[in-house]
Amino acid sequence: MLNSNAFRKAISKIAIIGIAVIVIIAGLGAYLYYTQYSIPNLKSSLVYAYVSDFPDLDPSIAFEDEQVILANMYEALVFYNASNTNNPLTPWLATSWSHSPDGLEWTFNLRKGVLFHDGSELKASSVKSAIERTIRMGLGAAYIWDAVKEIQAVDDYTVKFVLDYPAPLAQIASSQYGAWITGPSTPSNDTQATEWFNQGKDSGTGPYMIEKYEAGFQVVLAKFDKYWKGWSGNHVEKVLVKSVRDPTARLQAIKAGEADITLDLPVDYLEELKTNENVRIISVPSYRNLLGMINTKQAYTDNVLIRQAISYAFPYDAVVKNVMQEYATQSRGPIPVGMLGHFEDLTQYTYNLEKAKQLLSQAGYPNGGFTLTLTYTSGDELEKQVAELYKAELEKLGITLEIKEMTTKAKYALARGDPTQAQHILLFYWWPTYITPYDFLYSLFHTEKKVIFNFAYYYNSTYDDLIDTASQLEGTDLNKALQLYRQAQEQVVEDATSLFILDMDTIMIANKKVHNFNPNSAYTEVVFFYDVWVEA
Amino acid sequence: MASFKTYLIKRIILALVVIYFVITITFILSHVVPSDPAELYVGPKATAEQREKAIKELGLNQPIYIQYLRYFQNLVNGDLGKSLRAHTPVLHDILTYLPATLEIVVLANIVALIVGVAFGSYSALKKDMLADHLIRIVSVGGVSIPSFWFALITQLVFFGILGIFPLDSRLSSDIQLFNPIHTITGFYTIDALITGNIVALVDSVRHIILPAFVLATYPIGLVTRMVRSMMVEVLNENYIRFAKANGFKDNLIYYKYALKNALTPALMALGLSFAYSITGAFLVEVIFSWPGLGTYTVNAILENDYPAILGVTIFGTIFYVFINLFLDILQAYLDPRVRLQ
Repeated sequence: MLNSNAFRKAISKIAIIGIAVIVIIAGLGAYLYYTQYSIPNLKSSLVYAYVSDFPDLDPSIAFEDEQVILANMYEALVFYNASNTNNPLTPWLATSWSHSPDGLEWTFNLRKGVLFHDGSELKASSVKSAIERTIRMGLGAAYIWDAVKEIQAVDDYTVKFVLDYPAPLAQIASSQYGAWITGPSTPSNDTQATEWFNQGKDSGTGPYMIEKYEAGFQVVLAKFDKYWKGWSGNHVEKVLVKSVRDPTARLQAIKAGEADITLDLPVDYLEELKTNENVRIISVPSYRNLLGMINTKQAYTDNVLIRQAISYAFPYDAVVKNVMQEYATQSRGPIPVGMLGHFEDLTQYTYNLEKAKQLLSQAGYPNGGFTLTLTYTSGDELEKQVAELYKAELEKLGITLEIKEMTTKAKYALARGDPTQAQHILLFYWWPTYITPYDFLYSLFHTEKKVIFNFAYYYNSTYDDLIDTASQLEGTDLNKALQLYRQAQEQVVEDATSLFILDMDTIMIANKKVHNFNPNSAYTEVVFFYDVWVEA
Repeated sequence: MASFKTYLIKRIILALVVIYFVITITFILSHVVPSDPAELYVGPKATAEQREKAIKELGLNQPIYIQYLRYFQNLVNGDLGKSLRAHTPVLHDILTYLPATLEIVVLANIVALIVGVAFGSYSALKKDMLADHLIRIVSVGGVSIPSFWFALITQLVFFGILGIFPLDSRLSSDIQLFNPIHTITGFYTIDALITGNIVALVDSVRHIILPAFVLATYPIGLVTRMVRSMMVEVLNENYIRFAKANGFKDNLIYYKYALKNALTPALMALGLSFAYSITGAFLVEVIFSWPGLGTYTVNAILENDYPAILGVTIFGTIFYVFINLFLDILQAYLDPRVRLQ
C-alpha cells in the first residue's frame, strides 16, 4: 500500500516549485516590461517593406525582383538615370566609354580606386570574367549580351567589347538584370557560385553588404566601409528589407512607422493614406504596360478595319479613372510613357463608338453579329475588370466578347498554337529588360518563326527592317534610330495590332522622414539606400 | 515481450506503406496540375533555348515514370530536389523554416497541456456547477473557433486597440538591425537567452505570445474536454470509491489516482495535434508573418513550385506518421491491452 503522507509531501513540494517558477518568470517579465529596452535614437537605419522575396541572389541569373537588393550591393558599368531623358547614361563603374564608328567595338574606361567587398581592387579582368560568367551560364537575362563576340581586358582599367553586330552596349551595360559586376571572391565553379550567392554571400562593389540573409523573408544590409563614394554626409548604415506579401500588413507597417518605405498598395488604401500626414505617396512611370494583343490571323480580326473599330470601342478613360484611380495613363503606342522611344504626339485611339460603328460598316458588319474571344490570366484582377468593361462596350456594337480565364501556361499554350484557332485578344503585360524601345517592338511585333510573344501574329517585313536598322543605329546614331522607331510604332498603331491599354505607375509610399528618395524607373522598385537619409 | 516486438514491426511496416502512398499520390497530383515548371525555373521572359535547357536539366523531357523513379532514387539519398523558383535544395529550406514553426507549436502545446489539464480536472471536480459550465463553453469555443478569424481578432484587440503586443513577425525591425540574435538553435527565445541578448529576448517573447496563444486555443479545448470526460468517468470507478471509503485525502485521489488515468488519452490527442500543427499552422503563420514552414508551403503552392510542395508534404507525412507511431508504441508499452487488438 502506498504511503499517502509521502505522496502528499511530494505533491506539495512540486506545487511549491511550480509556484516559485511562475513567480520568478512573472517577476522577470514585469521587470523587463517596466524597464523597457532602449532603442538607439539615431536614425541610421531604414526599413523597406517589399512585396515579395528574392528567389535568386546570383547577380548573373537574377531576373525577378532581386534588383531591389542587388542594386545596393553591386554596381554596373553604366548607370541609367531615367529622370534625365536627354542624357540618361551616366558613369558608374566606368567613367567614360566610346565606340568605333561602325558600333562594333566598345571601350569602357574603369573608375580607379574602386574596391570589391573582399578588399580587392576593381580591374578590367574582373569585369571580363563577370560578364563572361553571365554569358556562359546563359540564364536569366544573359541574352542581352547576345551581340558580344569577345571581351578583352586591354589594361587594368580598360575593357573592350568586340561585337558580332552593332548594339547599344552602354545601355545594355546599365541593365538592371544580368549586368552587375562581380568580383574575384566569386567561386570559380558556376553552380557552386550560385549556391554561394544564395547563402547570402556577395562579391560586389556597392555601398552595402549582406549582414544577415533569411531566404524568403528578409535581408539585413550593412554599409561597406570602403565604398568608393565614401560615407561623409547623410546616409543610412543599416537596412532591413522585409518581404511582406499581404497589402494590409504593408499598410499597417507604414502607418505604424514599422516600415519607412513600402509599395504597391490597393487604390482604396492609397485614398486612406492621402490624409495621413506622416507619409507621402510617390508615383513614377513603371515602364510596364497592359496590352490586348489582337490576332491578325483569325477570322474577323484579320480585317484591319475591324481591328481599328474594336480599338475605338475600348473604354480607355473609364479604366484609367475608375479602375486605376489615375495611377496609370492611357498608352500611346507600345512604348510606355517616360521611356526612351515614347512619343507624346504618337497617334492614339480614343473611346469613340460612332467611329467604331463607321468602321464596322465599312468592313461589312454594320450591326456586328459575331463573337470574339479574349483570354486573360486567372487571378489577375485588373485584367478581369478590363475584360468585363470591354465586353459591355463591344455589346453596344453587336459584338459578343467571350472572356476566358486561363492559367499562364494554358493561355500561352493556346496562343502559341495555330493562330487561326487561337484567341482573338490576349491580355498581358510587357516591360523592358534593359531600356530600349527594341525590347518592346521586337518581342511584341517582330516576325517570329515560332510564336514566342508576338501574339498579334503580325508579320511585316517593312516593320522588321525599320526596327532592326534602328536597333543597330541605337548605339551610334540615337536620333536616327528614334526616328525609325517612331515610324515603326505609327505602323503598328495604324494596323491596330494590339489594344494599347495603359501604362502603369509604380506607387511607392514613404514616411515623410525619409529624404532624398527619388525612384528611378530604370531600376524597378529599387530604393538606392545610399542616397536617402532618414530624420531621427 | 514477443508480442510487443511483432506489434512494433507491424506498425513500422504500416508507417512505411503510408509514407510510400502519400509520396506517390502527391507526385502524381503535382504532375497533373496544369503548370509550367520549366517556365518557373527560367522566368517569364526566357528565350526558347533557355527553356529547352531547363527542361533537360529538370528531366521534364523524360516519361513520367522515369521522373517518378528518379525522384525516389534521390529521395532515398536524402535529396528532395531543388526549388524551381529559388534554385535552393528543398531539404535545406525546410530545415531553415522548421525552427520558427516548432517554436510556436511547442510553446502552444505546452500551454495547452498546462491549461487544458487544469481546466479539465477542475471542471470534472465541479461537474454541473457554474465553473464547469463556463469551462465547457470555453473549451467548445476553443475547438470550434476558426484560427484565422481568431488571429485577426487578437491582432485587432491586442495591437490595434490596446497596443500591448506587436502586430506580426518574430522580432521588431530595430532589434533585427541593432541587437540581432545570433542563431544557434533557430528558436529565437532560446538563442537570445543563451547568448544573453536580453533586449532581443523580451522582444521575441512579446512577438511570440499572440501567435502561440491563437495556436493553443484548439489543443486547449481538446485537452480540456478529454481530461474532463475521462475524469468524470474515472471518478465514478469503484477503485476511486474504494479509496475514498478508505479515507484517502481528496487531493491525493484526484491528482494521483484519477488524473493519471485520465491523462493518457489527452496526451495522445495532444501529440497528434502537435504533429498536425507542423504544417497545419500555416493560417496563423501567414497572418502573423511568421517565417515558418506553413508560410513556406503557402508560397510554394502559390508559385506552383512542385519540388517544394512535394518536399514539405513528404516531410509533414513522415513527421506525422512517426509521431503517431511513437504514440502508439508508447501506449502499447504502457497498456498491454492495446497490443492484443
